[in-house]
Amino acid sequence: MTTVIMRTTARIVVPIVLIVAISLLIEGHNLPGGGFIAGVLTSTAFVIVYIAFGLDFLERGVLGRDVDPGKTPSRDRVVVAYRRLFTVGLAIAVGSGLVPLALDHPFLSQSYIVLEGVPLYHHLEIASALAFDLGVYCVVIGGLLTIISVVGAE
Amino acid sequence: MPPELSVVLAVVTAPFAVAGVTPLLIRSLGEKTGYAGAAVAAFCFALLGTQYGSEGTVELAWIPSLEVALRFYVDGWALLFALLASGIGALVFLYSPAYMHGESGLARYYAALLAFMGSIIGIALAADLIAIFLFWELTSLCSFVLIGFHTDDASSQYAARMAMLVTVGGGLFVLVGFLLLAFVAGDVVGPGTSAFDLAAMLNRPDEMQTALREAGLFVPVLGLLAVGAATKSAQVPLHFWLPNAMAAPTPVSAFLHSATMVKVGVYFVGRIRPLFASLEWVMLFATLGLATMTICALLAVAATDIKELLAYSTASHLGLMIAGFGFTSIVGAETGVFHLFNHALFKAALFLIAGIIAHETGTRRLDELGGLRHDLPVTAFLTAIVALSMGGIPPFSGFYSKELLFEATVEASHHHDLGPLDWLYPVVAVFGSIFTVLYSLRFLALFFGRQPDSLDHVHRPPVILLVSPAVLAALTAVVSIDPELAVRAIVQAGIDATAVDPGTHEMHVGLPTSYSPAVGMSAVAIGSGVLAYPFYDSIHRSIRSIPRTVPPIGANWWYDAIIERLTDDGAWLASRVHNGLLRTYATWTLTATCVLALAGFVATDAAIPTALAGLDVPIPAALVLSLAVVAGLAVVTADSHVAGILTLSILGFMIAIFYILASAPDLALTQLVVETLVLVIFLLVVEEIPEYYEVSLGRIARDAALSVLVGATAFITVLLTTDARPVGESAIARYYTEHAVPEGGGQNIVNVILVDFRSFDTLGELVVIAVAAISILTLIVMRARGDETRSDESSVAIEDAEGGSANEPRESHETRGESE
Repeated sequence: MTTVIMRTTARIVVPIVLIVAISLLIEGHNLPGGGFIAGVLTSTAFVIVYIAFGLDFLERGVLGRDVDPGKTPSRDRVVVAYRRLFTVGLAIAVGSGLVPLALDHPFLSQSYIVLEGVPLYHHLEIASALAFDLGVYCVVIGGLLTIISVVGAE
Repeated sequence: MPPELSVVLAVVTAPFAVAGVTPLLIRSLGEKTGYAGAAVAAFCFALLGTQYGSEGTVELAWIPSLEVALRFYVDGWALLFALLASGIGALVFLYSPAYMHGESGLARYYAALLAFMGSIIGIALAADLIAIFLFWELTSLCSFVLIGFHTDDASSQYAARMAMLVTVGGGLFVLVGFLLLAFVAGDVVGPGTSAFDLAAMLNRPDEMQTALREAGLFVPVLGLLAVGAATKSAQVPLHFWLPNAMAAPTPVSAFLHSATMVKVGVYFVGRIRPLFASLEWVMLFATLGLATMTICALLAVAATDIKELLAYSTASHLGLMIAGFGFTSIVGAETGVFHLFNHALFKAALFLIAGIIAHETGTRRLDELGGLRHDLPVTAFLTAIVALSMGGIPPFSGFYSKELLFEATVEASHHHDLGPLDWLYPVVAVFGSIFTVLYSLRFLALFFGRQPDSLDHVHRPPVILLVSPAVLAALTAVVSIDPELAVRAIVQAGIDATAVDPGTHEMHVGLPTSYSPAVGMSAVAIGSGVLAYPFYDSIHRSIRSIPRTVPPIGANWWYDAIIERLTDDGAWLASRVHNGLLRTYATWTLTATCVLALAGFVATDAAIPTALAGLDVPIPAALVLSLAVVAGLAVVTADSHVAGILTLSILGFMIAIFYILASAPDLALTQLVVETLVLVIFLLVVEEIPEYYEVSLGRIARDAALSVLVGATAFITVLLTTDARPVGESAIARYYTEHAVPEGGGQNIVNVILVDFRSFDTLGELVVIAVAAISILTLIVMRARGDETRSDESSVAIEDAEGGSANEPRESHETRGESE
């Protein structure tokens, strides 16, 4: 599938997909979307990159690292990063649950504040649930991409 | 005087806390860690000493909303047992460094020993049935680790597994017994008190017994708890694990298998005695105890190894204690408590002496040992005290408690109508005691007679090895000289706690001054034992020949047969269910899921709705769904894998459109994205599947049946669940719609539910994703390294290994999929 059509399409589609994913994450509290969908969508963008350019592209082409041709894919630095990502995601999710405990609320209680008069937005609402959603997002991306890159390499 | 919560908590937690840091202690102290352990045990002993004379319940609220509390009950009996465990523990820790000198795995050894001591103290002090059960099983686990200390030795592994299976299995009987007990106790102890509070039950023994009988659960609960106690305390026919457990290092045998763990059953029988005292109780425990006492005494005479002799003798003495508690009279309680105390002192000393003998001579075989008094004079002196006490020879301590047993057997008929058991109990008790005298003399004879030529270089043991048995022997001597001292100090308090009608009797023991039936029985037992001793070898041989001619008479034979059968069946089952083929797993998982779901429907009498009222489908939805059906049919007839997968995804996308039509945009989004991802993953995997393979007719039939079953289950489930949906908006739906904006601050209710109202669920799902990723990673990493040197690289894989070192040819991913 590493054809020219595929590569050209991927170059255009992947940024769009990523932006849509991020907007789904941020808007998820009020419009359709949320951390899980955004995570899966982001993973899909990565999968498109994988299919169009191959598994090593991210390390070699994007990050500009040398890839040791003899090593097993599960030890790729990218895979290590994915693993770190879902660890970080879990930490964010649990951490966002622990903060209310410190403020004498039950575990995982959420709240929100409304900011008025913010430039550009005028009216901005920040929900603490966004932190939890960010955790969900990170775990989903990290988990799915770990699985896909490792299974794909097989 | 009520006990102090802080002290009790410190005593129970200190051993566990130190067990946790044992690896660090080993690093700084090395082999001297044993002394640190001794210090911990002495600390517990001292703290327990401060609670001397106290009685009552203390509790620490744990989860107040569920009425879960850590509850401890302190009385004379609990203190006696906990003091014994910590006191003997301290001596064993003191003995260990010299004995275990040069062994590897000391961190495991000391950690398990400490955790074990903590568990025993926990059992002694816990007042909550669940806590007792947990500590009970913890002792079994620690025992498993300690018996299997020599991990490279097959016999040690066998023994550890056996002890684990028997004692943990017995623990499960206890658990069921506890649950039934709590079920009944709920009404008796009344509201405000936990139904698992043993102390509250012990305050109302008569009401508990009546309630149990009314529920028809008296005999079942008694039986279940008896099985648990019998496995733990090695009662016939579950005694066989104890001699095998002698594969453990000797300090472990001294601590676990003479003084503490095996006494847990006895302790527990004494503890629940006031609850259950009745005719059934006597029939069960007196019979069980006397049978064990006699059979194990016979087997001890048949033993060829000094530790085996002591192990069977321990089982026999445990039988004596169980029998004592089995008699409901006050003398019975005196027998149980006093003998538990005496036995812990002399048997721990004997094991430690056996360890010295094995350590200094290099053998444990009875026929290779003799005349050791020249080389080990101090040990010989100590042995004389404790072995004669074990044999029940006056004026040594064992004599007093055995005399009490004889008295209890004679008195048994005064309390209950026992029929022929009336005279059988005393006869069996005397018969068993003859053998006790025999093997005790045999053990003592190790130090006398001619020294075999093979024993030409026996070293003197280091003083530190002698300290512990000397302390125990000295205590035995004190009890022998003045038994009333021990009674006043601690035994009487234990009796008050285990007696059926406490506080009515003051115990007195001493050398007999006038004739009584018990004195006569003692005289017969000791006289016969001494007279029969010259014929020891022929008795030994004749007992040994019995199991050789009739193997099924030995309990061990049954154990081996059952385990072998279970292993074979397990292997057979594994080859059916767990054969490495994905389709087999899928078949079993799907079948099980469907059958369980359908069984659930049947069990709850769920009726399939016959009239599908209000079945009006809008035309767009009907179109989309029928397209999905067509796609489903097309999947089955597709002529290549790729075509099949692509057609399958049509089905998935149609469902996504259906969600949009049903105004569920979040679901539709998720479905679309997941469908895309799954499609890609399928396409990646499909390359590995062969183009075409032969499928037998039977497998086609199986797959077809399975598909129909899955389809039918899904169909029925949908019918039932949609039918059960409440009419209109349910309360919970209304709650979410009303509170989403004011409380969650979000317009998207689905998302607010996910991240706010039910975020705990979401957190759980996140963990599932993470665990799935880790499992897949592990599976693939392990498969990749499967045939290579596994042990060398296992550490590398765990440590992330950035810029890894394995040299495996990588597949060329770039060329993948060009055939498309």
